[in-house]
Amino acid sequence: MREEIMMIKKINIMEALVILALVFLFGVQQADAKIYGISGPTFNLRAMKGNIIADDGKSIFMWGFANASTARVRFQYPGPTLIVNQGQTVTVNLTNTLPVPVSIVFPGQNNVNAVGGVPGMLTREAPPGGSVSYTFAASEPGTYIYYSGTRPELQVEMGLLGALIVRPAAITTPAGFAGCAYNTVDSCYHREYLQLLTDIDHTIHDLVLLNKTANVDNTIAYPVYWFINGRAGLDTVAKNFAPYLPYQPYSAMARMHPGEKILVRMIGGVRDLHPHHMHGNQHYVIARDGRILKGPAGEDLSEGLFTTTVAPGQTTDALFTWTGENIGWDIYGTTSHTCNPGPDNFDPVTKEYCPNHGKPLPVGLPDQNDLTFGIFYSGSPYIGSPGALPPGEGGLNPTAGLFFMWHSHNEKELTTNNIFPGGMMTWASVEYPSVILPAE
Amino acid sequence: MNKARLIILFSLLAVLILGMAISEAAVSVQCPYTIIDDQGNTANPNVICKHITGSDGFATMADGRVLYTFGFSDVTNQLPLDQILVTAELDARIPAPLIKVKEGQEFYLTLTTLPMSMRPDLFDPHTVHWHGFPNAATVFDGEPMASIAINPNASLTYYYQVPGPGTYMYHCHVEATEHMQMGMLGTLYVTPLQDGQLLNGFTQFAYNDEDGSTGYTKDYPIQITSIDPLFHDANLNVQPLPFAAMEDTYPLINGRGYPDTINPSTTLGTSAENNFKPSQNLPSLIEAQWGDMLLLRISSLATVRFYTLISPNLPMKVVGKDAMLLRGTAGHDLYYETNSITLGGGQSADVLIDTSVIGPIAAPQRFFLYTSNLNELSNDQEDFGGMMTEIVISP
Repeated sequence: MREEIMMIKKINIMEALVILALVFLFGVQQADAKIYGISGPTFNLRAMKGNIIADDGKSIFMWGFANASTARVRFQYPGPTLIVNQGQTVTVNLTNTLPVPVSIVFPGQNNVNAVGGVPGMLTREAPPGGSVSYTFAASEPGTYIYYSGTRPELQVEMGLLGALIVRPAAITTPAGFAGCAYNTVDSCYHREYLQLLTDIDHTIHDLVLLNKTANVDNTIAYPVYWFINGRAGLDTVAKNFAPYLPYQPYSAMARMHPGEKILVRMIGGVRDLHPHHMHGNQHYVIARDGRILKGPAGEDLSEGLFTTTVAPGQTTDALFTWTGENIGWDIYGTTSHTCNPGPDNFDPVTKEYCPNHGKPLPVGLPDQNDLTFGIFYSGSPYIGSPGALPPGEGGLNPTAGLFFMWHSHNEKELTTNNIFPGGMMTWASVEYPSVILPAE
Repeated sequence: MNKARLIILFSLLAVLILGMAISEAAVSVQCPYTIIDDQGNTANPNVICKHITGSDGFATMADGRVLYTFGFSDVTNQLPLDQILVTAELDARIPAPLIKVKEGQEFYLTLTTLPMSMRPDLFDPHTVHWHGFPNAATVFDGEPMASIAINPNASLTYYYQVPGPGTYMYHCHVEATEHMQMGMLGTLYVTPLQDGQLLNGFTQFAYNDEDGSTGYTKDYPIQITSIDPLFHDANLNVQPLPFAAMEDTYPLINGRGYPDTINPSTTLGTSAENNFKPSQNLPSLIEAQWGDMLLLRISSLATVRFYTLISPNLPMKVVGKDAMLLRGTAGHDLYYETNSITLGGGQSADVLIDTSVIGPIAAPQRFFLYTSNLNELSNDQEDFGGMMTEIVISP
């Protein structure tokens, strides 16, 4: 993981200023910051077996949906994030290579038409070696889940689930934004991130691997692995498609610049509720289950929270912003920089809150011998200016951003099969404005 | 013979004193003004300076079982500083000392880490995480992987410009699953700038509502937590910690199980194990006069599961969640009445109880506030206990 992080381009303040100047000179637009996924409206998925690696090194046998439209079809956990536009007629063709029937249900989508396969309890199913096709009109924008509708108590646990994102069609993304969650300007964002929370009882997976599925007893299911976007613990901050996690392609880390509006699409999977806590700031829940929280007259019913309940099968969209307002001291440190306040007291370029400008840290920090340092601590309290750390300390924050843990606050879930730290934790980082963040 | 023994005694004493002087040199408090009382008020009314310690200790459950704990203790304004490492030994409090600050104040919070008396093999640092602090700075956020943590025998002063009003929490974030299960959890709440105005018949309010709709007569912190005794025993006995097997069997309100919750004593939790230090100082008996408006500042820092708290016969009006007034951006109230609040770890709700809804009464009346996860109404093996307290309304 260390290598992955170190690949993030290291930029010091001087380079940063030069890049900032270049950006203004040549009007270079930063790429959109969108959730990685595959675009529709037609998807070819394959139900197949595979293995994931948890952050304790355990290999867990899984079933999952794979993107069958690629040259080399590869199992992944969670399934591919399906991205479509509102109004499109979406077709999902499922072929099944598993020894059991598999299907897909799309909660929140109306009038899903299933063709082919064999009849099942919730929908038509693809028998082993067979296929089935689902078609629906993506009528409402938002965040959705899809998962197997065949023995879901077993198959969702086994990994047959994924995210579906419907992008709004009746709004033009305003200049400077990357997109909008819904057809309202107040749902537009600079970056969006997925937080798909799942849990796993590995003993069930071991039984399925040994062809003892009949012995699976869900009444005693006892998850000890917890994941965000299919990864656990520190693995969650590795970038998308990190080579050492070949079957867990999705990062969960949320990188941002000060002042940016971040859309967090939270989805619960499997069986438990998780109180998802975001360090750094309170967030505003703007939608649940793909419906924006507005009253009949358009009144805002969004809810400000610091911990959102993520329930299985439910989706929640929240907006998060970190500004550093009222922190009481200069977030860029006291080295030479300017702050030219706009009407909201923030510098429109550096995003600094100017009333704090030039104020020193109000307290002295203890001698380094009296401190224990975190791997994401840059050695200084300031954004973009790393400080001196003792040998071997820190090191995973080369751009000197501010790191904030996003995690389940049922703290038991911050473990991986009896090991702390692990499980349902990831980080957001607030980066110096000129640090270039990945497009996806 | 006597003389020789005296010399040895004196030299031992000298070594002891010298050793203490060296090891205690690092306790320090940063406060820009003179602290004038044990609440941490200073010569400047807009500046508050508190000092807490993090240490181990013992708490006594309602069934009499003594459990090893980690916790915070309030040592604000205690002098001399170098004596705190001795006086605060084994003084872990369950819950952590209540912290009440005013919106807009500058808050200097010094944390001094004590060595673990019962686990000298551990060199755990501690932190304070002000849970829910808006626009936090990592250096003062206390999440150790992104921040700094203070080692034993040393002090770190956190600085906060106190944000908007509401019910927050604080806890140690070091090895979070362990230190939080072990008990380093407390309520922290912020009173609004609006306090002191007369609005809607009230002078104190949960939020800056501008119409007095969150006004109250009395407020009570109600923090729900829970304890797995096997985890605590394993910790004391230097055994591998059972993270995966963690199952809490002592559901608590403010660090006590019923009926200890209604015991008005502020000095519960003494045991031979902790040198008879009162470790559980916060009663949860809610007392009101008929007509009072009660504000319950409910929060959860349970480490395993969600709990539902119900007040079956006194409706609760939820006016705030997670330290945010329930009001839309267009100014319309989103308050709602309910008899139940479901909270996962790290969630809070501010609820008002209007005691006049029951109609005039001639004698004191007793109501219950308890978890409707009915299996949690126990103190481990002992039934009729756990996460429950009483609301007593007098005429």
